[in-house]
Amino acid sequence: MPLRLIASLAAALCASASVAGDWQYYGGDQGGRHYSTAAQINRDNVSQLDVAWVHRSGDQQHLAEWMGNTSAQSTPLLLPPRAGESLVYCTPFNRIIALDPATGAERWSHDPGVKLAGERPFRCRGVAYYEETRVADGAACRHRLYSNTHDRRLLAVDARNGEPCAGFGENGVLALHGNDQPADMISTSSAPLVAAGVVVTGSTVVDFHYSRAPRGTVQAFDSLTGELRWRFDPLQGQAQSGGANVWAPMSVDEKLGLVYLPTSAPSPDYYGVNRPGDNNYANSVVALALETGELRWHFQHVRHDLWDYDTPAQPILFEWTRNGKAIPALAQPTKQGFVFVLDRSTGESLWEITEQPVPPSQIPGESSAPTQPKPIAPPPLLDSFLMPAQAWGLTFWDRGDCARQLDELDNLGLFTPLSEKLTLMLPGSLGGANWGGGAILGDSGVLVLNVNTAPFTGRLIPASANPGERDKRDHPASGERMRVPMQGTPYDVEVGAMVSPLGIPCSPPPWGKLVAVDLERGVILWEQALGSVHELGPFPLPFHINWGTPNLGGGIATAGGLFFIGATMDRQIRAFDTHSGDMLWKYTLPVDATATPMTYTYKGRQYVVINAGGHAMFGRAHGDYLYAFALESP
Amino acid sequence: MMRPAALLLLLFTLDTAAGELLVTDADGTPLAQAMVTRTPLEVPEADLSDDGYAPHGVTNVSAITVTRFTAADGHADIFEEGQFSYRVRAQGYQDAWFTEPQDSIALAPMNEQQLHASYPSNVWLSQMPFGGDEELKQTFQLNCAFCHQQASPFMRNERTVEQWVSVIERMNSYGARLPGDDIHQVAEILQKEYRQLREHPEQVPQPRTWEQHLSEVEMTEWPIGDGFSQMHDFLLHPNGMVYVGDNLFDRIYEIDTATGEYTVYKVPHYEDARVGGILGNRFTVFPKMHNYMGVHSFAYSKKDGNIFITPSMQQSLLEFDVKTKEFIIHDMPGGYYPHTIRTDDEDRVWFTLALSSQVAMFDRKTSEFTLYDLPARGFREWLVLKSLPLLFSLAPENRPTPEPDREATGLPMPYGIDVAPDGDIWVARLYANDLAHIDPDSGEITMIDFPFEGPRRLRADADGNIWVVAFQNGLLVKYDPVKKAFTRYELPVVNELPYALNVDRDRGVVWVNGNQSDTILSFDIASESWKVYPMPRQRFFTRDIEISEEDGAIYTSNSHFPTWQSEGATPTLLRITPLEQ
Repeated sequence: MPLRLIASLAAALCASASVAGDWQYYGGDQGGRHYSTAAQINRDNVSQLDVAWVHRSGDQQHLAEWMGNTSAQSTPLLLPPRAGESLVYCTPFNRIIALDPATGAERWSHDPGVKLAGERPFRCRGVAYYEETRVADGAACRHRLYSNTHDRRLLAVDARNGEPCAGFGENGVLALHGNDQPADMISTSSAPLVAAGVVVTGSTVVDFHYSRAPRGTVQAFDSLTGELRWRFDPLQGQAQSGGANVWAPMSVDEKLGLVYLPTSAPSPDYYGVNRPGDNNYANSVVALALETGELRWHFQHVRHDLWDYDTPAQPILFEWTRNGKAIPALAQPTKQGFVFVLDRSTGESLWEITEQPVPPSQIPGESSAPTQPKPIAPPPLLDSFLMPAQAWGLTFWDRGDCARQLDELDNLGLFTPLSEKLTLMLPGSLGGANWGGGAILGDSGVLVLNVNTAPFTGRLIPASANPGERDKRDHPASGERMRVPMQGTPYDVEVGAMVSPLGIPCSPPPWGKLVAVDLERGVILWEQALGSVHELGPFPLPFHINWGTPNLGGGIATAGGLFFIGATMDRQIRAFDTHSGDMLWKYTLPVDATATPMTYTYKGRQYVVINAGGHAMFGRAHGDYLYAFALESP
Repeated sequence: MMRPAALLLLLFTLDTAAGELLVTDADGTPLAQAMVTRTPLEVPEADLSDDGYAPHGVTNVSAITVTRFTAADGHADIFEEGQFSYRVRAQGYQDAWFTEPQDSIALAPMNEQQLHASYPSNVWLSQMPFGGDEELKQTFQLNCAFCHQQASPFMRNERTVEQWVSVIERMNSYGARLPGDDIHQVAEILQKEYRQLREHPEQVPQPRTWEQHLSEVEMTEWPIGDGFSQMHDFLLHPNGMVYVGDNLFDRIYEIDTATGEYTVYKVPHYEDARVGGILGNRFTVFPKMHNYMGVHSFAYSKKDGNIFITPSMQQSLLEFDVKTKEFIIHDMPGGYYPHTIRTDDEDRVWFTLALSSQVAMFDRKTSEFTLYDLPARGFREWLVLKSLPLLFSLAPENRPTPEPDREATGLPMPYGIDVAPDGDIWVARLYANDLAHIDPDSGEITMIDFPFEGPRRLRADADGNIWVVAFQNGLLVKYDPVKKAFTRYELPVVNELPYALNVDRDRGVVWVNGNQSDTILSFDIASESWKVYPMPRQRFFTRDIEISEEDGAIYTSNSHFPTWQSEGATPTLLRITPLEQ
């Protein structure tokens, strides 16, 4: 048996032994279940939950000029005692900060000094911890943290003090694929994945400005040295395209030796003449051998994507039980509002896939896929149709305006390709589900996740028409429309939220919701509006109006029967009853929390922590807060 | 070591005439009635420069596909010179594809999930009891299954009750008429009973087994239009051409079946006409729509061959001169929704007016219309029918639309029509469950109660018997006008909802459209026996049949709406031709 394999196995054993119910991985565990067995805070006492401490990173003070282009989206980790037992997280500028878990006092920080040029929003959703067993116990960097940076570097620092791991790359830093290109073309948002001696990294590619965006190559490095172990290009055979990158978190099953990549759309998002065919392995869950990068299977949930339906969330690994037999499964929430449940050994769907015929494209030369896969169960997380009669408004006037808008645009449901005529996009590229993913309730096979339901519209505009100002963002801010060029194609794309003249979504509320899905029975158990619109009008109202809001960031579930989530545009963090969906607790933060919370138990006290930095994309106030909540007297 | 059976098969294969394909199972046993479809790999370049369609008067060539079935020995004569892909399909086996001619192909068996997924809609629908409420099921089938299949995989997808309500309300906005009082109950039933079937697919009966007669026919398809088209009705003309109407895009496809060439003629419309005509556009959210006239049903004049077409969306009749390729619009003095059309030996053109409950007769000698009012079923219905001119004087968007109810009050809907050998006119009223007889000389109208549900289209046979499909009941019904007696015939497939039929008067065969079971059915009148013909594509919804007097070949078209739900996503004209033995 090769030494490297022995080391990997030993590392795997150590890693699995160190889980112990605390939050050492971005998604709670290596399979992104967003679940904690902690139950000190529960349905009965959550109403007494209060602020334990608040940490501020200092970005608001020191990097004020750039804060308008940030979103604090980090989910901290709690390191095991042998690694220092710090709470660690990253700021949007990739500073890694270690805190005392009991007080929030800063123990150390590491600033990689990211390049601040460009217009790409700064964000860092998390870091990865790993015990490198090839390093002697007690030596520097036996316990290490890995972090991707905005400017495409991979960092390795000592988890106990933040010092760079000198033996990794060049003094703890190595250049990632695309490092020579500006962050406006390729950057990073999610944490790397590390397991069995391998660090796997994806990238964030700006994929609708260019027909030939940077490749979405996934790289894997030796966790000790930084030596490149393997690389995988999801767009093999498509020379005129790019992207299909992995920007969402990955998952790993060390027992199967598989790493699961959630791949995104190929470039450009809304035009595919330059990339004929299904565009394998884009818009897929791709399973690679962790050790070698060898392709084991892939499941493509959108063929020849023309809607920016990236695989947005971490694949969730859980046990799926039918007729008493447990199958190692993977749940993949998607932007289009489906949850695919796959056998994670083989990639085969555990629910029958119905090939859904979809409308053809109207664009010359475009060969859209005639069918798209849809699981026969569970049901879609949202209704992708919106008819004129369903138009919603506060008044007869704005409802009528929405009905008129709906009457005039194309709307044949999910997978209607954009044309030169305005087309309904429901869900739009925001989802459905997005990077917040979902939480599995223990061993129940029940998934709780947050969903966006507000409609968007879009169209392709001949690039030669109305030359002028183009937008450089990748998503329109709330209520706005934007037009961006798709360089290398004959078209610009215009997208925007579908709103009434009052700026209110044209669909009936809720515009954001929680959904509990029984993945084993294939049914929806409950739905609950998520978010209040009381701050979204011309002036804030003193009471909540729970019509749901667009939301980004995810939630976590606990054995206390609770689901914690921020994500909304109302500065709230909330706790819901996982059985009924009833809201049991909420707290008003200084700014929105566009992040997934985490929970841990430290010295006998359970904490719930969330990063609150605002919604840059939604034009909301920004900040640099990390809030911890606990019971006064556990 | 090679199994003896496989060795025998190999020897048999070697002895087979070149050009024949042997289809076997995985063990090498020949499979009879396997469907083999030949599709050209190179699609002829077409001029589709008019919004994705051929411009007026332009001739393109269709990529013809041919399907044959294996005989009892597992062989099919299917190969042809040129570049083709071949698909082999057999019940219970996974499809296989190949491009190079080969001696044999072995099909792998389906697993249980694949097997259930391969079943056509009708067998699934047959296991939907609607909570024991048969009347509600019939209301559902009448209002929800006339455009597309129910219980197809797309329908069986798990949905919440709220999602089903949304679907039904959307369908009602497109033209379905499920009563408001039934919507929520139907949504609950669909959610519950589709889930039960999904969890217990073993309850679903196997579809009808493909039978030996299939190896005696060849199926030919001419793909025309695109995923947005709907090839509703058509006509086999004495000049040898087939004329197919795309009723969503006001186009007529003149198809030379021998060469595959087709020429498209755009139907003219009034300068001030709107999309959707006087009925209004129900499909505003569709990416493209061009039905100012609404090309519906076809008949030709036995005198000069000119074709008469009902434009559903206008108060007029269309005439197409097959020699000059010119259209003539004949304005009507009244009546709404010109529907099914036939001609008689006196060069009169008869057609139903579905909305105004009338029958129109256009006398070509005088160029005058005569409208026959079919009686209302009550005062309210009479009032509704009489107020139609007032309602239609309003713009479509301001027009009140009556809430549908289970009895379709106010909408008896004369639908199918035919001219019997004696020249009498027969009409079926879909929602009123009755037949109308019109004496063309006296104009006398006689109404006859139809003892079944949903008389849709009808035809007369050589003896003057009237054959009618009962849509919701899934029956073929014969009415003997002499004995004034009805005879019912069960269809050979379960839960089929037959849309139309035609009678081969020369051969004594009734051909019935299937639309839920992906089949066409033939009924031999003398022996009262059925034959079932599976369609070469899944989700094949047919509404019309034409018969070649010469050889008994029949034509139909796939008019599933929306077309993109059909396998292949393109409408086709299909011919079933008896092979010379």
